[in-house]
Amino acid sequence: MTGEDKKLTQREEELAKSFEAAKDNLRKFDKQVGMVMDLNKCVGCQLCSMACKTLWTSVEGREYMWWNKVNTLPGKGSPKDWEKMGGGYKVKFEGKVMEPILGKHPTRKEFGDMWKFNWNEVITNKAGQVHLQAKNPDGTNPDWGMNWDEDQGAGQYPNSFYFYLPRICNHCAYPACLDACPRNAIYKRTSDGAVVIDQERCKGYRFCLEACPYKVIYFNFVKNVSMKCIFCYPRLEQKVPNACARQCTGRVRWVGLSDDPKSLIYKLVKVWKVALPLHAEYGTQPNVFYIPPLAPPRLAEDGKLDHSKPRIPREYLRFLFGPEVDAALTVMQTELDKVRNGGKSELMDILIAREWKHMFGPFDKDPATLERKPGQPGSYSRPDMTSLMDQKI
Amino acid sequence: MEKIVCKSVSKTKKELLDSGNAFWKNSPKIRLETAGTPLANQPSPYIKGVYDESKIGAVKELSVATYHDTENIYFYFEWASAKPNREIGDINVFPDGLGILFPFGDINQTQIKEMGSKEYPTNAWYWRPDFKEKPKNQISHGLSTSLYTKISSIQSHSSWDKSTWCVVVTRPLKVTGKDEETVELKTGGSIGIGFAVWEGSNGERGGVKAFSKEWRELVIEA
Repeated sequence: MTGEDKKLTQREEELAKSFEAAKDNLRKFDKQVGMVMDLNKCVGCQLCSMACKTLWTSVEGREYMWWNKVNTLPGKGSPKDWEKMGGGYKVKFEGKVMEPILGKHPTRKEFGDMWKFNWNEVITNKAGQVHLQAKNPDGTNPDWGMNWDEDQGAGQYPNSFYFYLPRICNHCAYPACLDACPRNAIYKRTSDGAVVIDQERCKGYRFCLEACPYKVIYFNFVKNVSMKCIFCYPRLEQKVPNACARQCTGRVRWVGLSDDPKSLIYKLVKVWKVALPLHAEYGTQPNVFYIPPLAPPRLAEDGKLDHSKPRIPREYLRFLFGPEVDAALTVMQTELDKVRNGGKSELMDILIAREWKHMFGPFDKDPATLERKPGQPGSYSRPDMTSLMDQKI
Repeated sequence: MEKIVCKSVSKTKKELLDSGNAFWKNSPKIRLETAGTPLANQPSPYIKGVYDESKIGAVKELSVATYHDTENIYFYFEWASAKPNREIGDINVFPDGLGILFPFGDINQTQIKEMGSKEYPTNAWYWRPDFKEKPKNQISHGLSTSLYTKISSIQSHSSWDKSTWCVVVTRPLKVTGKDEETVELKTGGSIGIGFAVWEGSNGERGGVKAFSKEWRELVIEA
């Protein structure tokens, strides 16, 4: 029961219009920065995770958070079984109606808690007497973590498979978290489209954690507020690429302006159409895209290559990336074959990424060249709440 | 408009700021009915879309008594809660809570259902067990706008026993802190008053709560 069937009073109708206008205002952006990740190149080294951890989540209640993480697929990911936790939208009438779907809160342990290790015991005892062990803060043994099902994979040798899925906030064009927040604390930055949580307005009610279908929002138990990937906006402001992208040793990630036809993001998503959003059916319109894994061909019993069916079941990739994955993989294979046969391919040239500077559009500054001014506030100011209140209702 | 009378009493602060004190147990109390907040007043399309209005507002009534000692005003509350939800133990765990709401200006112009407006703001005193007996003071200019103020001179004492929360909330009548954004209360005067209760085990937080739909008049006797 949603109350939709009740006849609204005039005042309730006025309120509904004003709430809608406030959310429209918070969703507005002038420019959208997007990211593409090539799953054919990711080796699961977690350098991106460590870059993010070092920069953003090492202190003040953020220790257990992984704003960037690499999950191994097929697997339950983190939080554990997040794809079964609901949230997002049922999209109707070509996006004119976005019907929210009830979501579930992940628990701290489902995310994988902040483990404590018995370093001292190991160091102060003779070798072999004590082994390194992790414990949850409540003393229990961990039974989940950020990449718990690492390299588990699926299938039967020699045709088994696994691949890595790096995950950050998708900085959606229609963020379910933004809609869910009754405090209007979540908004898209107009200058880059990053979805951020105003820490002054957030009161830690956690509706955003319920509504986000990707379950990439965390709760800070020290500050009593929700927190998430901020798309490294202070770096973007300085024309420096996101830490996860810059640190990626495999050159897996491209960053750029989504609507600039000259950007590689645009070429991969809109021209070549090989970069796809994860679970587009959640309806939030992500701005992070993935190039699906082709994977090597299967081996037949006689040891010869078996091209009759793909190593990674296509049904599984369709589950992740939608029916468009078929066309994307066909394009990838065609272009790959072209190069293998001595030809040239713009797509393969982009994906090989010979020069890191070319991967990040206008965000190609080396952070080492910046003058460091710790503690300086950012230049951006959020939409004014007073103006939201001023709306004639 | 129903009146809630705050009489003067000659007791120490220690006695009055004790939720288990026999004085409060024996004091006559006013029983107030509360109702779940309507979905129409939820600024979140998510809450509007997926929450069941009939399940909002698990606490159906609370009892209140109030006294002052010429310097401080004391409110004593009792309400039924099968289990105390004291802390944010996990991401899906919500603490219980209690709110007292006052209009800054004209009671007839201040919408209790909307926690005021830009022109007619409200002041809420917000108790939660995890606030360590230091309730928050907040100002609201309408739905979704409430903010904690930097300074709060509100104190509390609370206990839970036999499926009942007993909470005393107190504050100096006269605002003493510089720049303390809160209502001024005077003996011999009166002001509108409203209440809200959150049942954590029902997932209640923010605007998902039980509340008094109408202002009452708090009469503070000299």
